[in-house]
Formats: sequence, C-alpha cells, structure tokens
Amino acid sequence: MLPTEEQRAQPDAPARIFKDDTRFALGRIAVFQYAAVTIFFVLITGFWVLQIRDRQSNNELAERNRVKTVPLLAPRGKILDRDGRVIVDNQPTFTVRLTRENLRMEHIPAIAAGLNLDPDDLRARVIRIQHQPKYVPMTLKQGLTPGELAFVESHRDPETFPELELIQSQGRLYPRDGFAAHVIGYVGEVSEQELNSADFAKYSQGDIVGKFGLERQYNDILTGVDGQRRVVVDSLGVERQRLENTDPVPGHALQLTIDLDLQAVAELAMEGKRGAIVALDPRNGEVLAMVSRPAFDPNLFATRIRNDDWKALTGDPQNPLMNRAIQAQFAPGSTFKPIETVAALDTGTIDENFTVVCNKGATFYGHFYHCDERHGALNLHQAIVHSCDTYFYTVGNKLGIDAIAEYADMAGLGKRTGIDLPGEASGLMPSPKWKLQTQHEKWYAGETISVAIGQGAVQVTPIQLATAIGGIAEGGVWYKPHLVRTDTQPEPLRRATWGASAIAASVNGMCGVVNEGGTGSSARINGIEVCGKTGTAQKVSLDLAKSGKVGRDLAKENGWFVGFAPKDNPEIVVVALWEASGHGYASAPIVRDVIKAYFDKKARLAMPKPQQIALFLRPQ
Amino acid sequence: MTEFSEAFLEPRKKDRISKFNIAAIVLIPLAAILFQVYVPRFVTYLSYLELPLLVTVYFALMRRSPVQGVLFGAGIGLAQDSLSSHPLGMFGIVKTLVGYFAASVSQRFDVDNPLVRLVLAFFFFFFHQFFYWVLSRALLGEVVPFELQQTLVLAILNAVVAVPLFHILIS
Amino acid sequence: MEFLLNRYRNLTVLLLAVVAQLVLLAYQVKSNGEVRLIRVWAVTAVTPLARVIETARSATSHFFSDYFVLLDVREENQRMQNELDRIEMENQYLRTQLDTAERAKALQIFQASSPSKTLAAHVIGNGTGSGAKVVIVDRGSVSGVQKGMAVIEPYGIVGKVVDVYPTAAFVLLITDPTFAAGVISNKNRVRGTLKGQGHSTVIVDYVENEQKLDPGEWFYTSGDDRIFPKGLPVGEAAVVRPGKTHKEIFVTPSGFQNGLEEVLIVMDGVHGNIPEAPANDQRDQPVHLLAPPPAEPSEISAAPAGASGATGMPAMPTGATRTGPASDADRIVEEYRRIGEAEKHVYGERGTGAPDYNAPAGITRTDPKPADAKPKDPAKQNP
Repeated sequence: MLPTEEQRAQPDAPARIFKDDTRFALGRIAVFQYAAVTIFFVLITGFWVLQIRDRQSNNELAERNRVKTVPLLAPRGKILDRDGRVIVDNQPTFTVRLTRENLRMEHIPAIAAGLNLDPDDLRARVIRIQHQPKYVPMTLKQGLTPGELAFVESHRDPETFPELELIQSQGRLYPRDGFAAHVIGYVGEVSEQELNSADFAKYSQGDIVGKFGLERQYNDILTGVDGQRRVVVDSLGVERQRLENTDPVPGHALQLTIDLDLQAVAELAMEGKRGAIVALDPRNGEVLAMVSRPAFDPNLFATRIRNDDWKALTGDPQNPLMNRAIQAQFAPGSTFKPIETVAALDTGTIDENFTVVCNKGATFYGHFYHCDERHGALNLHQAIVHSCDTYFYTVGNKLGIDAIAEYADMAGLGKRTGIDLPGEASGLMPSPKWKLQTQHEKWYAGETISVAIGQGAVQVTPIQLATAIGGIAEGGVWYKPHLVRTDTQPEPLRRATWGASAIAASVNGMCGVVNEGGTGSSARINGIEVCGKTGTAQKVSLDLAKSGKVGRDLAKENGWFVGFAPKDNPEIVVVALWEASGHGYASAPIVRDVIKAYFDKKARLAMPKPQQIALFLRPQ
Repeated sequence: MTEFSEAFLEPRKKDRISKFNIAAIVLIPLAAILFQVYVPRFVTYLSYLELPLLVTVYFALMRRSPVQGVLFGAGIGLAQDSLSSHPLGMFGIVKTLVGYFAASVSQRFDVDNPLVRLVLAFFFFFFHQFFYWVLSRALLGEVVPFELQQTLVLAILNAVVAVPLFHILIS
Repeated sequence: MEFLLNRYRNLTVLLLAVVAQLVLLAYQVKSNGEVRLIRVWAVTAVTPLARVIETARSATSHFFSDYFVLLDVREENQRMQNELDRIEMENQYLRTQLDTAERAKALQIFQASSPSKTLAAHVIGNGTGSGAKVVIVDRGSVSGVQKGMAVIEPYGIVGKVVDVYPTAAFVLLITDPTFAAGVISNKNRVRGTLKGQGHSTVIVDYVENEQKLDPGEWFYTSGDDRIFPKGLPVGEAAVVRPGKTHKEIFVTPSGFQNGLEEVLIVMDGVHGNIPEAPANDQRDQPVHLLAPPPAEPSEISAAPAGASGATGMPAMPTGATRTGPASDADRIVEEYRRIGEAEKHVYGERGTGAPDYNAPAGITRTDPKPADAKPKDPAKQNP
C-alpha cells in the first residue's frame, strides 16, 4: 500500500506506511517464516484428518463415522376389502435404534423410561446381542408415538444420548378397537425360534414378519424388498454425501373377500359379547365377515409389544388372542339338527310325516333325556321349527351313529375346512371308530342320543358350521372357505349326492324356524326370506350345571344361530356364536343384522343415482 | 520475528511499545468478553461486534511482541471458547494466530496510522472468520456455508469500530 | 539447539500454543471428553462480573419503574405518547422498564403458584459460539442446578440447561437448531416435536398431514420429552400447512418475545402433578403484553372415534389404542355406529327389528365405487 496525499498532509500521521524501508531485506526472512507456518499447518491438518477425524473410517468403513448404511425399509402390502377399501394401511413411523459403539450402559434406565420400555428387558436384550459386531445397530423400538419421538429428538444430541438413532419407516396401521383383528393378525419382529425355521430362513434379526392371521398366512406376498441408502456422515453424524440408493420394493396388496360393511355390522353386533361371527358366501366359500370377540388391538403389535401388554393378553382368561371363528370348538346343539334331518330323510329312516309325541323328554336305554318343553305330537317340520329334542332323540336312535357321522362328515364336521388362516381347529365328529381309537372304549348306544341333538362329544367351530349349513342350503355343494379374493370360481370341495327332497325339507324347516314363530323368529327380516336354526349347547352336563359346582359362566349355555338367505340359491350364510348367552335365540338378531347389511348394500348399489340437479332447484 | 530484528529495532521501538499495567491486561479483555456476552441481550445487532478480536489485535499491535500476541490471543480465545458450547480451542487457535500475525505485522507497518489500523482490523476480522470456518470444517467436520458477503460487511463494520476503539484504549 | 530455539523463539511459542490447543481439541473431539477445568475458570471469572452488572441494571430499572408506577403510569404514558418524538422515545424506554417490573412480578406469582419447584435465575449473558442459541444464567451447581433441567418463564418455555458450572449455567434456547421438545396443541390435542431453527420462529415437526390443527392454536409442553413438565405454554401456531411427509407448522414462541431477563429453572417438575392447562391465575395477572391464557382443553379427545372408548372390549389393554389417522375400516364402523344411533338400533339385540341401513340421511357412506364407474354420491342417501 502506498501513502496517499492526505496522509502526507496530516502531521501526526507519519507519511510512511513501512516503518523502515531498510528493513525490506528482512522480508525474505518473514516470507520464510510464514511459509514454515503454512507448511506446518498443512501437515497438522493432514495428520488431523488421518488420525483424529477419519481414524475409525480408515479402520473400519462400516463404522458409524464415515460411510453408513441406512436401511430403507419396504412397506408391507396393504390389505383391502373385497371392494378395494383399505383395511390395513401403512403409515410413516419412526424407529429408534441403538448404535452400540457409543452406548453407555448407565444410560439404559433413562432411555428405557423415555421410550416406555422395560429397563431390565432392554438391558437383557443389549447383553443378548453383545456377541455381534459393535457397528450393527440394535432396534430399540418401532412405531414411536409422537411423545416418544419428542423424547428421542430432545435427547439424541452428542451431549446426552448420542447412541440414539432415528430412522423412518412404514409401519402397520390397523383398524381401531380390534376390528377384524383375528383375521388380519399382526406383525412383529422375527423371533430367534422363527429364524431357525424354514419359513423364515430368509429373514434376519430385527426384520418384521407376519405373526398371526393373514399377516402370517400371506407374509411372503405382503413383504416387500428392503432397499438401502449409503451415506457419508461426519463426526457429528450429519449426513454429508449420498453414495447410492437402492429403492425399496413395496409388498403386494392383498384383496380380501371380506366386505367392510358386513364386517362393521358384525363387529358392532358383537360389541361387549364373547363369541364369534362368520359370514360366508356359500356359492364360492368367500368369507364376507369374520369376527371374534373379545379382541385385541393389533396396533399394540405393530411395534414391539410391551411385556405388560403381552402378559395381559396371554394371561386373560377370556383368551382374546384366540380366533374363536376358527378355533372355538363347542357342541353345536340344535344347529346339528338340519344335518341330521337330511341324513334321516336321505337314508329313508323316516319320512317327513314321521311323528313323535314329546312329553318333555323321553327314555332311551333306561335313561331319561330331557326336552325344553312339552311339545306334544309333532312332525319333522314342526320339530325343526320348535327345536324339539325328543323328536331328534328318536330320529337319531333310529338312524344310528354311523349314518349320522357319515352325513356330518360329508357336511364337513370333524375336520378342518382348510380356510387360509393359520391355526384352524378341526372340531370333532364322534363315531365308534373314533372312540375305539382314542379312548379304547366301545360306543354306547346312549351316546348316539346325545349326538343326535348336537351334544355329547360333537364339537364344531363357527367356520365349520357356516360351511356345513351353507353347503346344505346350496343343495349339497361345499366350497373351501377363503379370505383372499380370486377372480375365478373355485372348484367345490365336495358335492353330495343327496336327495333334493331331503335337503329341501331341511331348508324348509329352517325357514320355519325364522318365519313361522319358531325359535329363531328374531332373525326375521321383512322382504327377505331368512332361514336359520338356533342352537343352545351345554358346555357341561346338566346335572353338573345344576349342582353349582362349576362357575356360573360355564354353567350358562352357548347360544348358536346359523342363518342364510334367501331360501333359494342363498347368497349368504351367517353363524353367530355367543358364548354363555344362555340360549340360541339370543344369537339370532346378530345374524339378522349382518344379513340385512348384505341385502341393504346390494340394494344401495343397485339403486339408480338420483339426479344431481334436483339439489339446485329454487326453494318454494 | 527474530531476535536479531528485535535487537535491531530496539532504539526506535522503545518509545513506541505501549506499556500496559497488569490490571489493564486482565481487565480490558475481560470487559471485551463481558461486553460480547452481556450487551447483545439488549441490543441484538451488537453481537456482530467481535470485541475480543479487536482487543487481541490491538494488544498485539501495540505490544509488538509475537510471543505476547500469541499468549494474549490464546488466553482471550480460550476464555471465549469457555463461554460457548463448542469444543475448547477453536477460538483459541484462531486468536493465537491473529495475535501472532498482528504482532509480526506491527513491526513492519506504522500502526499509529488510522488507515493502517482500519485495514488491519478489516483484514484480521476477515482472517479470523475465515480461519474459524476452515477450522470448524477441517477439524470438526461441520458443514457450515461460508457467507462471504456477510463476512465482508461485518469486517468493514468491525474495522470502522476498531479505529476509534483503539484510540480510546490508548488514552 | 538452544540457538535455534532462541532464534525462532516467537515461532516456537506460536507452534507450542497452537499444538497445545490442537491437542486439547483432539482430546475433546476424539474421546467426546470435556475439558471442564478451563471452562470452569473462565465461567467463574466472567459470570460474577456479569452478575454484578445485571443486578445493578435491574435494580436501577426496578427503581425507575416503581417510581413511575406510583405516578400513575398509565396517564403518564398516555400523555407522553402524544408528545413530540423526543418524549416518545423516552416513553418507549419507560415502558420497557415497566415491562421489566411487571415481568418480575409475574415471575414471582407464577413461581408461587406453579406446582413445580422452581428456582429464579437472572440471564447474565449470551453464549459466544457462532450459531448456537445459548444464554448464561447466574445459577449453577451451587444452587443445585443440573444438566437437562427445563428453563421456563411464565409466558412460555425458554430452553434447557446444557452445561453447569459452580456459579452459572448455560441454557440452550428453544430457538437453537439442536433443541427439541414434546408439545401438544390445546384444541385438537395434536402431539408433535418442537424444533428450533436458529432464528426467532420454531417449528413443530412430526404432525401427520391428516391431523387437524388450526392456525392460532396454542402449543403446550406435553411432558413426553421428560424435560419440561406437562402444560407449560410454548407458543402459538402462526402458520399451518401440509408438507411433504408431515405438516409444516411454524410457531412463534411465547417465551421471550421481549428479551430474556429473569427465568425459572425447574428443579423438580413431576409430570403427574402438572395440570393439563397452565394455572388459571395467569389470567388475573396485571400483564397486558403476552400469551392469552388458553381455554381449558376439552376433556373429549378430538379424535373422530371419540365414542369408541365406550365399546365393550374387556380384553383390550387400555391406554394403548391407536390415535393415528382413520382407515376405511374405521370410517365404515363409525358410519354404521351412527346409523345405529339414528335408527335407535342396538346391534345384535332383539326387539328392535332389523335396521334399515340405507335410510338414515346425512351419513356419508364409504361405499365402493361400482365397477360401472358411478361416482360416489352422498345425495342418494336421502329418502
């Protein structure tokens, strides 16, 4: 810089910028000095970069400080109803992971508290995976609530809990209040046990898999393929550069045969009750609705389920995790009578005019068998309508256990229906052969009397009963019940060569039950020909129930109702099981509401659309 | 600077090296830091004034001893670091260098000239900000953009403040 | 050697000083270590001075404001406001002083009424770092302050303690980019995470786009972060708009609009004992400037399925039901529930006869779109 005129003019500002021109010679030394300082800094910086900042990355690329692989979790496929309406959706969720290289064990209680985890459980989990390499992060919790998210965000700074790491993923969004919970099932982290099984061989620790219901059954279809993102992060964990992206491939959507309208009505009808509802289309086996109550909230499982919640669910005597629609095995009671009717007529054991006089029961083989009422003289039709036990004791006795078992077997009792849900129970249709095999005892003729009214050793599941009665109503054709929709008409599972008149008599009887002042009158719907049959089934013997030695709940009878409509070419068959309701007629309105929902929806969709323009008419 | 050059300059420097008593050496930087910590609470834009830096430059220029410049800069820088939330040493290193270079420069420039002071204050502010940015990027791996325009404007502002400030400090 | 060291004494000292500090830095960066001692010295040296200045300043301002309160300051202010520019400026100053006095009073009232145990502290300085929003308060470990404690004032939250020294503590303000806290809105009960931005507004993140939130709604601390007790005001949602993954919500913090002087450090804030809304006596305070106290939040959750809490699900563990957006399934259940109510029909009960699901008007149906592409038409529900 050169001195200016102004500076020269100022007396107290010396005219020279450089204090001493002779010292210019020293400049060379100064240059050397600065050069030395610069070189020194270059060296220091290089040293720093290698030794301090990037040391770990040089040692181990996968370590957190340089290149990091962030998984991009593929969303599972949605689950839709038969009309494409969403039953199970995904929602963006956050997962917090523990980067174990900077984990401090003393932070665990605080982290567990903030994330609503059990500290002991968390500590145990950390110790359990200690043998794995440090750079493998541990999933702490999935599906963080907004509150837990706030906790993580406000504590994951380097000063507080630097071991917390947040990743975004797609979590399951199940309907509220356990809606269709047993059908849908739930997902969860794959267990060590599952990892060792063939079904889950391709998964690794921390993966989310279907655990129950359809989520389990169709896990492979619903599961997508995870992607990943490789990023360079700085020492503070801030993303600096993206290396490459492999996009996740979402899982396939699953379209069910479930109709949300029917399912909703069925759920509402079962509120506060214990039992199950199954609604089928008997023409192809499509399950239109399936409810089991008490239910559980699958959203509890959408993330890692808390120990407390798990204990509450598994320890509940009502067993909410049981899908009663396919797993509850109870005596069918009088709902067994339509099958027996077909057997009796088809074998020619009786005809429709066969009459029995009911004296509030009858004596067979030296033992008196009760009937609810003194029905007097009835023919077959009247016996079905009023559900006279005396009549069917007599018919069963004439028919014999082998014939009963043969027809029941054809209708599908005593064996799994093959529905596409895991864990279906098989029910039980007793026969002399069965008794000999399992109990090594001879069949007593008295047992046939009990079986004849759906008691004794007979056990059915709601799905079995719905399939059996639906198949009879359809004229003796049974389809495999299924929950996933296909476009093709399935092949029938079995086709009976039963006489049409035998079947018609049975169906007519069931129509009388609803429409002729029978036990199922409350299932009546104006304008729709609903047919059905009540069933009241003891869980323990009458004597034991009266003795008061068993709980009130056990002593109370289960109420069944199986109904279908219309009478000819039925489109829907519904079974309702209300445990410990006392009588089958209590279940009839449940079935009525579901059937009505089916026909109302059909009418609603067929209704012509009113003219929009009408809305804009000038008011009078 | 070398021993040799200092010895060479001895007679001239004598009347020029400002003498500070211990109290001033301790209190003025403390006041500067206090100012930076306290005053911006009420007048926000005063936070753009880097008084500790200006004081460092001033001391280094007046004392003309690189050693003292280094120690002074390091001291005031570390004190500033202590009151921040970033790792200790960032301001320290930068101010150490500023102290050193300011003292070195003072031996070659006429530091009593207000224009020179203006230019030096401008230069050192810019140097300070730039080097701080380099350090945080290189050493801490922080990715913060360097705002050139803002830094230049602030450098001018600080330089303008520096001239009268130095004048006040002398008296 | 001695000659060399002598000859390059300056350079040696420089290098020594720089290397020493580099080592210091390296130690801190590499091992996440903390060099407490130097900080403690510096903070202990600076803070008492700042405290003295602050005490002197606030004492003066209190004196002035007390004086003017006696002189019926409202009239005074009114008169002054009508005067010329010179006096207007003076008036401005006086008003600021008055605010200070009222604030101090409000602080006392709040501290006395708040269920949390708090400790009053003066802000004696700003942190010196670049970018970070940190203030220094004049209470430290001697007074029992600990790292992680919440710092509040009557009108809103301020920040949290990040560093503690014997006589001072550093408070990270809610406006700092690394700050986060759990918040909940007062009307729609929307939960989110408050995050600082580095400037005066803050944002609330992680609120689903589907969730309802009105601009002007107030956010309160939710207690989820385990830092702030539940129910402290945070600020008003100034802008609410849908974003890419989550709603974009900008909040004007109610805490320190007019500068920070006195704050309260929450020494013991037990969530359970904190009411949903802040104490009502805020309403009675003679404070005219900030934070209208919000209405008591309604007891019913704003979720559309509010009624579903009454559904008889004996086995459902309580308190864990989903609160997120509704799927078609949830909507359809609600539709049928409302149809049942409209028809006075109890599902599955005898006596009432079969309901007519198509009759009730005014219930939007989530019907499937028929294959022949008839658009969904709510009007067809009209009888």
